[in-house]
Amino acid sequence: MASVSAAEGPARGLAWVRQDPALSAAVLALWLLLGLFVVFPLAMLAARVFWDGGHFSLAGIGTILTDRHQVQAFWNSLLLATLVGLLGTVFGFVFAFTVARGGLPRWVVTAIDGAVLLPLISPPFTTAIAFVFSFGPRGLITYELLGIKGFTIYGMGSTLFSEALTYFPIAYLALRPILAAIDSNIEGMAMSLGASRWRVFRTVTLPLCIPGLANSFLLLFAASLADFATPLILAGNAFPVLPTQAFLQITGMFDLRGGAVLSLVLLVPAMVVFVLQRYWVSQRFYVTVTGKGAGQSPFESVAPWMRWALVGACLAVTLVIVYLYALLLYASLVMAFGANHALTLRHYGVIFTEGLKAIKDTLVIAGFSMPLGGLYGVLLGYLVARKTFPGRRTMEVVSMINYALPGTIVGIAYLIAFNDPPIELAGTALVIIACYVFRYGPTGIRTTIALLQQIDRSLEEASQSLGAASGTTFRRITLPLILPAFFAGLGVVFIRSMTAISATIFLVSISWTLITVKILENMTELSLGPAAAFSVLVIAIVFVVIAAISWALRFFRAPGAEPVTSLLGG
Amino acid sequence: MKALKQLFCTACLSLAALAGAPASAQGTVNVYSIWPENWARPMFQEFEKATGIKVNFVRFSSGEALARVIAEKGNPRVDVLFGGPVETHAAGIKEGIFESYKPPSFDRLPARFKHPDGQWVAIADDPLVFMTNAKFLKENNLKAPASWNDLLHPAYKNMLQMADARTSGTAVTRIFSVLEVNGRDENKAFEYMKKLRPNVQLYTKSGGGGTLPVGLGQAGGGIFFIVDALDTKAKGYDVVISFPKEGIGTAAEAIALIKGAKNPELGKKLIDWASSPAMQNTLATHKINFLPAHPDVAVEPSLAAVLKDAKIFPIDADYAGANRKRMVERWIAEVLNP
Repeated sequence: MASVSAAEGPARGLAWVRQDPALSAAVLALWLLLGLFVVFPLAMLAARVFWDGGHFSLAGIGTILTDRHQVQAFWNSLLLATLVGLLGTVFGFVFAFTVARGGLPRWVVTAIDGAVLLPLISPPFTTAIAFVFSFGPRGLITYELLGIKGFTIYGMGSTLFSEALTYFPIAYLALRPILAAIDSNIEGMAMSLGASRWRVFRTVTLPLCIPGLANSFLLLFAASLADFATPLILAGNAFPVLPTQAFLQITGMFDLRGGAVLSLVLLVPAMVVFVLQRYWVSQRFYVTVTGKGAGQSPFESVAPWMRWALVGACLAVTLVIVYLYALLLYASLVMAFGANHALTLRHYGVIFTEGLKAIKDTLVIAGFSMPLGGLYGVLLGYLVARKTFPGRRTMEVVSMINYALPGTIVGIAYLIAFNDPPIELAGTALVIIACYVFRYGPTGIRTTIALLQQIDRSLEEASQSLGAASGTTFRRITLPLILPAFFAGLGVVFIRSMTAISATIFLVSISWTLITVKILENMTELSLGPAAAFSVLVIAIVFVVIAAISWALRFFRAPGAEPVTSLLGG
Repeated sequence: MKALKQLFCTACLSLAALAGAPASAQGTVNVYSIWPENWARPMFQEFEKATGIKVNFVRFSSGEALARVIAEKGNPRVDVLFGGPVETHAAGIKEGIFESYKPPSFDRLPARFKHPDGQWVAIADDPLVFMTNAKFLKENNLKAPASWNDLLHPAYKNMLQMADARTSGTAVTRIFSVLEVNGRDENKAFEYMKKLRPNVQLYTKSGGGGTLPVGLGQAGGGIFFIVDALDTKAKGYDVVISFPKEGIGTAAEAIALIKGAKNPELGKKLIDWASSPAMQNTLATHKINFLPAHPDVAVEPSLAAVLKDAKIFPIDADYAGANRKRMVERWIAEVLNP
């Protein structure tokens, strides 16, 4: 009866604790975890920045804000993120529109989906590696193919292009369901009323997509703002960006405080984007699914020449992606790329002997993060969506913090908070696992909430009014209904545990290291062979695991639930 | 809910097991290595063969390694800092992160290969060189650079790669080389570095970062440690190694015991071994082109041939240690971000 009475009015005092001990225990446990792994690290970070020799001080911020190089890096970051957001959204929209309206054969769509998935599941700087091969002063394309001498790869252009190519699949996956949901008969009606195709696109299709476009722009903006590995490899010295500066400030200048200040500056745009996305865009989706309409008529909305142009554009981008990854595979299979192209499996030998510890560590960490992250997401999402308890809204917002922040901030905050007693976790696997769970688990929270909103509450109320405790109701009724969200959460946490670097590069230690850190290490030493071999391995593992999860999900998939891939973008 | 709780407890328990440091078993010494893995690993395997002590190590570039050790000062996680240009160690002395220790070889080592109190001792010597891409030289009708001023030639515009002083000891040794050939006249030295800046395509995070781009021709040339340069050549890339007539610096590669180390006795054994011919004789076997620091170890003949006629001077560890931070900061302000 507990949640029935609670649902009728706000809980009074501690009455809810006595009425539903399982609920209160779960809430308490979650608050403890959130306090320890979200609030505490951020508080320590803020203390490091504002607390100087025992008193409050703004000097730390002042030094950075007046340093014109750091200010430049700040604007560079914003500029890059904006351009990546725009370019990636354009790519994503063209892909989504072509797939939804182009009338392509099924196998072409599948091929495009597969290629587009590659950047999403590979370590974030994989395209950066392939870029260096292709577009440097002696690059395969710039020099060998086009004969351009002295082409400079390092700078904003290549960073922008590489990031756009890496992140546009997020936009594609966010926009595709929206375009698919627009009944093309609406467009057909507009046309039969005499509007030109362009006018229909401009006045009907595009306006319906605007919230989706804004959403994907913000997602890409945030992704670029958090990315430090691509600029580290491609931006060179003329185009510093903040996440990279913060990293160098700490690892190079031993200046934890300076790094903390830089990442705190990064917090401002990150939070603005998060708030916009969460409270503005998400309330403006006005696409309504009207059930199965009459047969769609995809050919009419696009002129034949336009259709070919769109398909051509998509195929071109897809080919670039396939080319980049083929190059990566090739580099992992030759002795020394650029000098000795004899085929060899030596680099794979290297990663399975010298790199074996990193592979094992990564798999153990991902293996633990995955179920914990999935469980955390489902539990918190369920409590927030279905239960009433004091501080429910606050809990939802707090749980999203680590997810919304760029990884650099989270990593530095963890480093500061957990290096010294009383809570000394640095150097353990636990700190890396916690980082992944609380940073990527929120995808599961969001999915759970979204899913529960589609399921009528009366199902659970019926169970409870028949006398089942809230634990039983959860297990017998709700759990089966939200299993898809659980699996989606598993998938995302696993992929990120295998591929993320921006936060965890600060947390690796003598006892626990990660494949992504090894790849970056090899990249900066320019041992391209092992770096490429590691990347290929990560992609292969993730592909297999995601395939397994999708397969498992097929048995639990609720009608109308989104496919697992569409959840990766968030 | 009960089952859920049970699952949760199991997970927590296993996590607690994970949290414990797994490598504190007897006979394991923990090390931050500044030498890249492909050199550190064979050395540590030799050490294990010789003593039965296992080495648990992770590789960081010198700046990162030093930052880690300083950050962990209150609660050290490793016993030994292995390798890296000595100015890294010199900078660490001020932070009070090392424990003095004089291994048996201490008295045999020349003065520049040891800290007077034993805060560090050298395990190898590593001169800088100019390395250029042979095809690039031919295309531009250039001879291999034989003077610091040759690198200012306009043909090198945007075609040099060298290390970033924020993260790399190679870069710091390079900066002190420029200071030395300019008679420690800071303004003159920085004038030169500023003039060189337009020719630099990229300052790389680690010292060897530019070697492969030079090998591939992505860059025309750069300044590297000989060990990286010869490694590039050995991989099959067509590169030319040369030395400036004004001279170029060499940095001792050092080893140091961490203050408050959890396994000091094992750490000392590693230092004993690394500073003696026992390790340095195996450098040539593994084709690692460091010069030995111990006087009893002969320079491998092909390495000696490369160095014939080269004018090489040591970097003064005291001067470098005392001025490192200031020079790096000035380099960032005036050269990196003009």
